[in-house]
Amino acid sequence: MATEVILPRLGQGMETGTIVRWLKSEGDAVAKGEPLFELDTDKVTQEVEAEASGVLLKIAVAEGEVPVGKTVAFIGSEGESVPEAENASDANAAQETPSDNLSQALSEQPAVAEPVLEPLPSGNGRIKASPLARRLARELNVDLASLHGTGPDGRIVADDVESAQSGTPKLTSDKLSQAPSVSGELERVPLTNIRKTIARRLTEAWQIPVFQLQASADMTRANALVARLRERDPDVRITVTDVLAKVSAQALMRHREVNAEFTEDAILLHPSANVGIAVAAPQGLVVPVIRGAERLSLAEIAAVRADIVGRARDNKLRAGDLDGGTFTISNLGMYAVESFTAVLNPPQAAIVAVGATEDRVVPVDGELAVRPMLTLTATFDHRAVDGAPAAAFLQTLAESLEDPGLAL
Amino acid sequence: MPELTYREAVRDTLIQAMRSDDDVFIMGEDIAEMGGSMGVTQGLLAEFGPERVRNTPISEMALAGAAIGAAMQGMRPVAEIMYEDFMTLAAEQIVNQAAKHRYMSGGQVTVPVVFRTQGGAGWSPGAQHAQQLEAWFVHIPGLKVVFASTPEDVRGLLWTAIYDDNPVVFFEHRTLYPIKGEVPDEIEPIPLGKARVHREGEDVTVIATGRLVHESLRAAEEAASEGISVEVVDPRTLQPLDEETLVASVKKTNRAVVAHEAVTRMGFGAEVAAVLQYQAFDWLDAPIERVGAKFAPLPFSPVMENFVVPHAEDVLVAIKRTVGK
Repeated sequence: MATEVILPRLGQGMETGTIVRWLKSEGDAVAKGEPLFELDTDKVTQEVEAEASGVLLKIAVAEGEVPVGKTVAFIGSEGESVPEAENASDANAAQETPSDNLSQALSEQPAVAEPVLEPLPSGNGRIKASPLARRLARELNVDLASLHGTGPDGRIVADDVESAQSGTPKLTSDKLSQAPSVSGELERVPLTNIRKTIARRLTEAWQIPVFQLQASADMTRANALVARLRERDPDVRITVTDVLAKVSAQALMRHREVNAEFTEDAILLHPSANVGIAVAAPQGLVVPVIRGAERLSLAEIAAVRADIVGRARDNKLRAGDLDGGTFTISNLGMYAVESFTAVLNPPQAAIVAVGATEDRVVPVDGELAVRPMLTLTATFDHRAVDGAPAAAFLQTLAESLEDPGLAL
Repeated sequence: MPELTYREAVRDTLIQAMRSDDDVFIMGEDIAEMGGSMGVTQGLLAEFGPERVRNTPISEMALAGAAIGAAMQGMRPVAEIMYEDFMTLAAEQIVNQAAKHRYMSGGQVTVPVVFRTQGGAGWSPGAQHAQQLEAWFVHIPGLKVVFASTPEDVRGLLWTAIYDDNPVVFFEHRTLYPIKGEVPDEIEPIPLGKARVHREGEDVTVIATGRLVHESLRAAEEAASEGISVEVVDPRTLQPLDEETLVASVKKTNRAVVAHEAVTRMGFGAEVAAVLQYQAFDWLDAPIERVGAKFAPLPFSPVMENFVVPHAEDVLVAIKRTVGK
């Protein structure tokens, strides 16, 4: 009996996933634990491993969005027959009666039956078509199964697809190979799941009543600390972000009302500071989390941060990397941004936006001095936190940055 | 524009480089009084003397090693390996020494040496004097590999090879030495890694090297009379490879044939086919055809030799297969 490959639930709240591509083809041998296909969820793109060993008998869903729990493929032994995917375990699919199907099919029948040339069977039922013909068929929306191949061994070639496109001007391969779009043409970038999630969550966040507080910190000592730690251990490249994560975690533990989450009937105060770092990954904004940051040393934070940020940039995050954050740091300091306000990252009650460290003239002991200054802008969920405790938190944060020894 | 044979073009480049630069010298077996077994270096001894036109003992390993040593000391030696088949004897020096020193010294040592050699069938030299072994050397990181097919190309490419700071294996083809072609008045250096489109076409791209460039041009002519438009491209430098030009051509024509005189199996064309299928997969309308010698030692018998190595007719058959005719 063939084993069904079910679309797995990779994280809480995941209802559907999008199959990006299969890493195995029908007929391939697969071993349990081998990557089988790439799944794009609303958080990450992840490889899904085979749950059983054998031969990949059939791919029921080649690509596209699929509900969790649906059968997407079958693994079994060579030559084993496979139940129809639709009948398998897709309880949600509406069952059509045979008569419905028949009447529908009849009503769609063209008035005059056209002679249909059957594609030559190629042994395993696969349609034989050149890569170019397949691409053209995709782009021109031509069903390869309806074509008759005129190439060697009945292969469907580009000409066959183009001549099937009756009424449309014949596309030459020249036109197709002109990759760059004509200037002035509107470019359409389809939404990825991650983009959709960013849009949905930020729209939700915009409904929350928030307020912002701003404070600046003299970074002289923090910079010296970073420089000294880098000198002592060049292998662990400590950054200002690491110091920020560390002092934020300490400040959150001291002001637990900020390390909070607003729910309908209670405010939840988290026991640990799980600090999220906003990362501009190629596929979009992601916020991997440094767990229990208040208990980690600066070097440990740097190691964790390097790992998760690196994997975020390589699109290799796992769903678990993004769960459970209680606070977020969004640092645009590398872009020479003086200060900015960040949108809340629900259900977290606070996020801090970090600008660039820049030399500013500041009064020190009644004299003018030039100091490296950093501006922090924190956004708070007013339903969970009031102004005074929020201000106390930001003050602790700024003071800890000015004198990191206090936080360590 | 003067007309030179391929042989004269090689000789002219050596002479001009040696006249303009004292660091350039040549060495090899019988290259001095005899002028080389293919006559390429005739007359050079008289002009440059035995210091700069050096006969070596019959040891390819020793002469390759000496050339590498001279290059590491700042000279620009051009060593002639009489037959491509004898490159196997020099392989230790070329593969393990010349190709590695720049890397292993962290860039402190360069090895600006050229190994000129020639091979190729068509005159019954037998199994040990006509092999095409370019695939052996394109497999070695640290070497550049050139295979010129025309007098103009061999002149411009040899000049660049001499002045490249890396070891260059420079293949010439025995049967191309007498062919004539126009060359620029002054040597125009041709950058390594730049392919040449010999003939433009719409239906299929033939990527050919060495003698097969000429066979492919003949096949293209024949195909044109049957209504098939063939583009013929010579990579000229096999390493580094001008992937951009090759891929662009195949994206235009949607079909490809790779052609060389070396045996097809594991040949240079296999790598080209791999590059094309990966970078132009969605543009291919037919399997990539490969043309090369049959997998056999070269026979001495002219009839059998002719049977084993590829000719224009073989290229034409491959072209027709790609367009389904």
